[in-house]
Amino acid sequence: MTKHIIEVQHLKKHFGKNEVLKDISFTVKPSEKVVIIGPSGSGKSTLLRCLNRLEDDYDGRVIFYDQNICQAKTTDLRLIRQRMGMVFQQFNLFPNKTVLENITFAPIKLKVMTADQATQKAHELLKQVGLDDKAAAYPQSLSGGQQQRVAIARSLAMNPKVLLFDEPTSALDPEMVGDVLGVMQRLATNGMTMIIVTHEMMFAKKVADKVLFMDKGVVADEGTADYIFNQTSNPRTKEFLSKVMLSS
Amino acid sequence: MFAFLHHYYPVFVQGTAQTILISFIGILIGIGLGLCFVSLRRSKYRLFQYIARLYIAIVRGTPSMIQVMLIYYGLSKMIDIPQIQFLGSGLDRLIPGSIALGINSGAYTAEIFRSGLISIPRGQTEAGLSLGLSNRTTLYGIVMPQAVRNVLPALGNEFITLIKESSVLFYIGVQEVTAQALGVGGTLYNFIPPLLVAAVIYFVLTQLMSLLVSLMEKRLGNAYLKVPE
Ligand SMILES: Nc1ncnc2c1ncn2[C@@H]1O[C@H](COP(=O)(O)OP(=O)(O)OP(=O)(O)O)[C@@H](O)[C@H]1O
Ligand SMILES: [Mg+2]
Repeated sequence: MTKHIIEVQHLKKHFGKNEVLKDISFTVKPSEKVVIIGPSGSGKSTLLRCLNRLEDDYDGRVIFYDQNICQAKTTDLRLIRQRMGMVFQQFNLFPNKTVLENITFAPIKLKVMTADQATQKAHELLKQVGLDDKAAAYPQSLSGGQQQRVAIARSLAMNPKVLLFDEPTSALDPEMVGDVLGVMQRLATNGMTMIIVTHEMMFAKKVADKVLFMDKGVVADEGTADYIFNQTSNPRTKEFLSKVMLSS
Repeated sequence: MFAFLHHYYPVFVQGTAQTILISFIGILIGIGLGLCFVSLRRSKYRLFQYIARLYIAIVRGTPSMIQVMLIYYGLSKMIDIPQIQFLGSGLDRLIPGSIALGINSGAYTAEIFRSGLISIPRGQTEAGLSLGLSNRTTLYGIVMPQAVRNVLPALGNEFITLIKESSVLFYIGVQEVTAQALGVGGTLYNFIPPLLVAAVIYFVLTQLMSLLVSLMEKRLGNAYLKVPE
C-alpha cells in the first residue's frame, strides 16, 4: 500500500527532562533525497539515530517499508539496519582492520556474501569512491576525506536501500570536502535514497528533493530546495540561512 | 655454594614445571572470568553489575593467601578430587590451587578489560551496530580486539604478578618452586642458596613473560601503521 520507504510519525524523544524531538513527522520516497538542516542542538543527529534505533526509547512510530522499527525484535532490527546504512561525522572506521577488511567484515560475518564475493564487491566499491589503490592500507594512514569515502563504501557493501548521513563533511579539512560530496552526488544521481544532515548549503540546493529545517526539536519549515532557499517566509529559516551563508 | 644443585636440580625442574603449569591455568581461568565479569559489570541489569562489583571488591580486599586456603578447604569439602600425583603434587591440591589463582586474577583482569573497553570510542560500537551486526559480534569482533591491544601492557603486568603470586600455593602443599626451595633449604640447614635459585627461576619466568607480551604488542601495534607498497 505504502509508496514510502520511511514514514516517521509523531516521533518524540527526550533525554531526562530535555525534550529533544517534539512530534516529528515526515516521509521518504524511493530515490528521494531528504536534506535536514538546522542549528546546533536542534536534534538532527538524534532524529537520524532514532531511524536506525541507535537511539532507543522514543514515542511515535518509524515505519521502514511495512515494518515498525520501534517494535522490531532484535533479529529484525539487525535486518533493518543492514538495509539502512549510516555514515558518521567521525567516519568510525575500524582502525585495526585494513580498508578492505573494513568493507568486507560485515557482509562476511552476516553471511550475505562469501569472502570472495565480498572482496570483489569491496574492490568495485573502492573504485567507485576512487580509492582502489588503498585496499591494503590501514585507516590511520589515510586522510579524513579518504577515510570518509571508505566509510561510504563500507556502508554500501551491505546493499542498503537507504543511506543516512550525519554531517559527513563536518570533520574534514576544506580541501577534502569536495571529494566526499562528489561521491555523494554520484550516489544521488544513481538513484540512492538518502537522508542527509549537513551544513553544506550549496550541496543541499543541488541534490535535495526535500529540505527539512529543524529548530528546537521540531520541523519548523519544510519544502523543496527552491522553496526553502528562495521562497520561504519563515523568519527562523531565513535567519538561520543568512547566518550559515555568511560563515561559508 | 650451589654444589647442592648437582643433587637437587630435578626437584627445581619439577617445581618450575609446576609453577608454569599453575600459572598457565590460572591465567587462562583469569582471562575467562575477566571476560565474564566485565560483561556482567557492563550489563544493563543492576543485579549483574552488583555481582561483578562485589566479586572484584572481595578479591581485591582480602589477602590472596586466605582466598587460596578458603577455596582449597571449601572445594575439598564439596567434591572429592582424586589424589593422583602429578609432577610431585596431588591433583586434589593442584586443581583447587589453580582455580584459586584464576579467581584471584579474574578480578584484576576484569578491571583491566573494563578500562580497555572504556578507551574505545562509542562510535566503533555504533558503526558495527549500524551495519546490522549483533551486539556480540560488535563487542567481540570489533571493540574487544582494539581494547585488548590497548591494555596489553597492563595485562602483561597482571600475568607477571600472577606468576610471582603463584608461590602462595605453597600454603596448601602444592610443590611449586618456592615450596621446593624451602624443602631443599630444610634438608641443607641453609635456606639462602635454594631461595636464591628460586628467585632466579621466577626472574627468568617473568622476563620471558614480558618478552612474550612485548612481542605481541609489536605485532598488534605495527599492523595499524602498515602502509601499502
Ligand atoms: N545521549 C544523550 N544524552 C543526553 N542528551 C543528549 C544526548 N544526545 C543528544 N543530547 C541532547 O540533545 C539535543 C540535540 O542533540 P543533537 O546531537 O541531536 O543535535 P544536532 O542538531 O545534531 O546538533 P549538531 O549540529 O551540533 O550536531 C542537545 O541538546 C544534546 O545536548
Ligand atoms: Mg549532530
